[in-house]
Amino acid sequence: MPNETDQKGQAAPAGLPGAGRLRSSRELLSGRAIGLAMSAAVLFALLAARSSSFLSQYTMLVISRQMGFFAIVALAQAVCLVVGGMNLSVGAIGSITTVILGLCLDNWGMSGWLAVPVVLAAGCAAGAVNGLLITRLRIDSFIVTLSMMFVYRGLRSGISGGNPYRAPASFCFIGQEDLMGVPYVFLIAILVLAVMAYLYRNTVFGRGMLATGGNEAAARFSGINTRWMVLGANVLSGLFASLAAVLWASKQGSAAPETGEDWLIVSFAVAIIGGTGLSGGSISAMGIFMGAAIYMLIRHGLVELKANDYYANSFLGGLILLAIIIDRVRETYGRKRRTAA
Amino acid sequence: MLELRSISKSFPGVKALDNVSLQFAPGQIHALIGENGAGKSTAVKIMAGIYQPDSGQVLYDGRPLHFRSHRGSPKTGIGIVHQEIQAVPESSIAENIMLDKLITYGRTGIINWKAVHRAARGYMDMVGLDFPPTAAMKHLSAAHKQLAQIAKALAGHAKVLLLDEPTSSLTEREAANLFRILRELKAAGVTILFVSHKLEEVLELCDRVSVLRDGRFVGTRPVAEASRRELIRMMIGRECAEEHLGRLDVRRDREMLRAEHVVRRGKADDVSFALYEGEILGFYGLVGAGRTELARILIGEDRLDGGEIYVRGQRAHVRSIADSLYRYRIGYVTENRKEEGLLLKSPVRTNITITIWRNIVNRLTRFISGRKEDAAARHMVGALQIKATDLGQKTEDLSGGNQQKVSLAKWLAAECDVLIIDEPTVGVDVGAKEQIHRLIWDLAKKQRKAIILISSDMPEVIRLSSRILVFKSRRIVGELTGVDDPSRTYEEISTEIGHYLA
Repeated sequence: MPNETDQKGQAAPAGLPGAGRLRSSRELLSGRAIGLAMSAAVLFALLAARSSSFLSQYTMLVISRQMGFFAIVALAQAVCLVVGGMNLSVGAIGSITTVILGLCLDNWGMSGWLAVPVVLAAGCAAGAVNGLLITRLRIDSFIVTLSMMFVYRGLRSGISGGNPYRAPASFCFIGQEDLMGVPYVFLIAILVLAVMAYLYRNTVFGRGMLATGGNEAAARFSGINTRWMVLGANVLSGLFASLAAVLWASKQGSAAPETGEDWLIVSFAVAIIGGTGLSGGSISAMGIFMGAAIYMLIRHGLVELKANDYYANSFLGGLILLAIIIDRVRETYGRKRRTAA
Repeated sequence: MLELRSISKSFPGVKALDNVSLQFAPGQIHALIGENGAGKSTAVKIMAGIYQPDSGQVLYDGRPLHFRSHRGSPKTGIGIVHQEIQAVPESSIAENIMLDKLITYGRTGIINWKAVHRAARGYMDMVGLDFPPTAAMKHLSAAHKQLAQIAKALAGHAKVLLLDEPTSSLTEREAANLFRILRELKAAGVTILFVSHKLEEVLELCDRVSVLRDGRFVGTRPVAEASRRELIRMMIGRECAEEHLGRLDVRRDREMLRAEHVVRRGKADDVSFALYEGEILGFYGLVGAGRTELARILIGEDRLDGGEIYVRGQRAHVRSIADSLYRYRIGYVTENRKEEGLLLKSPVRTNITITIWRNIVNRLTRFISGRKEDAAARHMVGALQIKATDLGQKTEDLSGGNQQKVSLAKWLAAECDVLIIDEPTVGVDVGAKEQIHRLIWDLAKKQRKAIILISSDMPEVIRLSSRILVFKSRRIVGELTGVDDPSRTYEEISTEIGHYLA
């Protein structure tokens, strides 16, 4: 499943592994995936040992639901990182699409079945705006998404006036229920990750995005239409941000305009912990899954320790740094082993 | 007198230098040649103090040198001019030259700019750099940056000058100027080490030449007594033919590509030519003459300001490289394989099949068949004899020659029948170069492809082409036909090219 650049040059092939077959088992065993899984397992064991209520079904439900949710938010960021850019407006798109959802459900009385596609389309449109500005005007993604973040935030506040919208009970089914103990949100996240993994490894579009992020000039000189790739990545990003917004509103039972406020740092944290390189060209669906797990477990741990909520962000920042340092060390170590004069 | 005595140096997995001993006398220009991976760069870096040898010593005037870091070497009077020009672009020339020896007012740490500029001016005059010392480095051409580097080495009171592939980005005139300066320095008693893979330059400029092969010292010859053939034999260990590969069968009734009065500001100045099936059309010229720029226009990477392009007789509007590949089946093998030609971190398989993904995909599931992908990659690896441990090996781990083959392979996989090949053997060792030449020739002769060969390596162009267009200042200044005629000699053809360029 993962499509990673394994810097250690081990059995796991780098970048775009190509077909599945034997390779998938080798990749699952790649250094990074094992390290992440182990970290997650250790955290899990620590938390379980500390308090017996941790292993209760209730806690598991809460954690796995949050995990699925954050995995999707991280994915929204990761798809942009992969093509060599970033999306600073993930949270803002989440906010504005939440407002649109609220308008649909509350003000216009649409049913959930109609509102959700509308909202997802709006997310795609927002992503497309970003993408077009980046590719047509050739402005850096950092600047475009930073500016659009403010634009969307302003729209959100202006339209909603800061007030939450009500969501009908029927809408909350997906966000709040579970299937035999596994929350629907979690299942949806797994499904989305699986589809994306398939996309990146086995389709022309996915591989084109990986190539674009790996080396834009080389991809372009090899016949890849890199502008379409960047545009497509940004549309996907908007889609996932709006999907996360829909799921969150479903869970909360209301569409609150503050949704998305703290998504930005989380999206980077989980994506990077999960092995999505900052320079682009690599992504691991398994990694994002593990990254979300680790993030949730740490958050839960902080709550358990009754740590001050404000310091949670410090921890998160520290975690991102740690993940990047580890990544850099692996890369240098791997390169030193292979480089000659 | 600079000496390497029994130097050995290993890196993980490879022995770069194996008990190498070399001597370089003052007042001489000494060449160090060898294939890629022979150990030349390693030897130079050891002399400059960038690497420490595992065993052996570097001696200067009989005394062993101890480098603690790269800073050690300016103190000992050894200056190095790297292949990739390392300069601080925003700073002035004077700053770059005097960077590690800026003159201050006493010990206050405040820079005495007047003194710095005066000193820099002195060194700049030595190398003939006619700019104000306050000019920014970024405005200088590659050639001038290089002269600045030499000035910097001289500013360090270098008695030994190590030059690593110094002419790689220079035009012929700039190279001639560089040689003049080197000769002046030689007369002043400086020891000069000239690392190059260009045998013509070595034979023209240097007094002695030493050859390394596979990390071992092969021999030293006075240039006056060495022949090109012998040096090549020493470098690769066997004979290497350099004659033309033979006549090509050109179908002049099948025109594959035609440019008419192509104009692009700053890149092409009213260029017209035609390319036929089965021919190798050489584009010869120096760096900046407009050949690569024209190629980029032909493949859609750059726009046309005026003129028309015809592909297979039909008017063509090439919008992008993707367009040129999928709509017109034109392939462009870039001169810059590391930055534009390959995804270095990806496996060989990926780099070969990137152009044909959309051909091997299942219509319904959009699934790229791994089997078909591997088959296509394997076919290319076999056809081009690419040396890789397996299809999944990271492309950056391949040698330069094999990387170049991969870069070529992706266009062959896509079955392009028009190929524009730009500087195919730059940074490729002599053995692989021979293989690539044969490959290109076979493509034209046996597979009837139409090939434009862009090269500034005259022997290469003359050896492969059936027709040559000479470029200068963004226009075509001459055309030579019948280059593959066995009755024509190398001297005759190269002289004719020279006339057009004068």
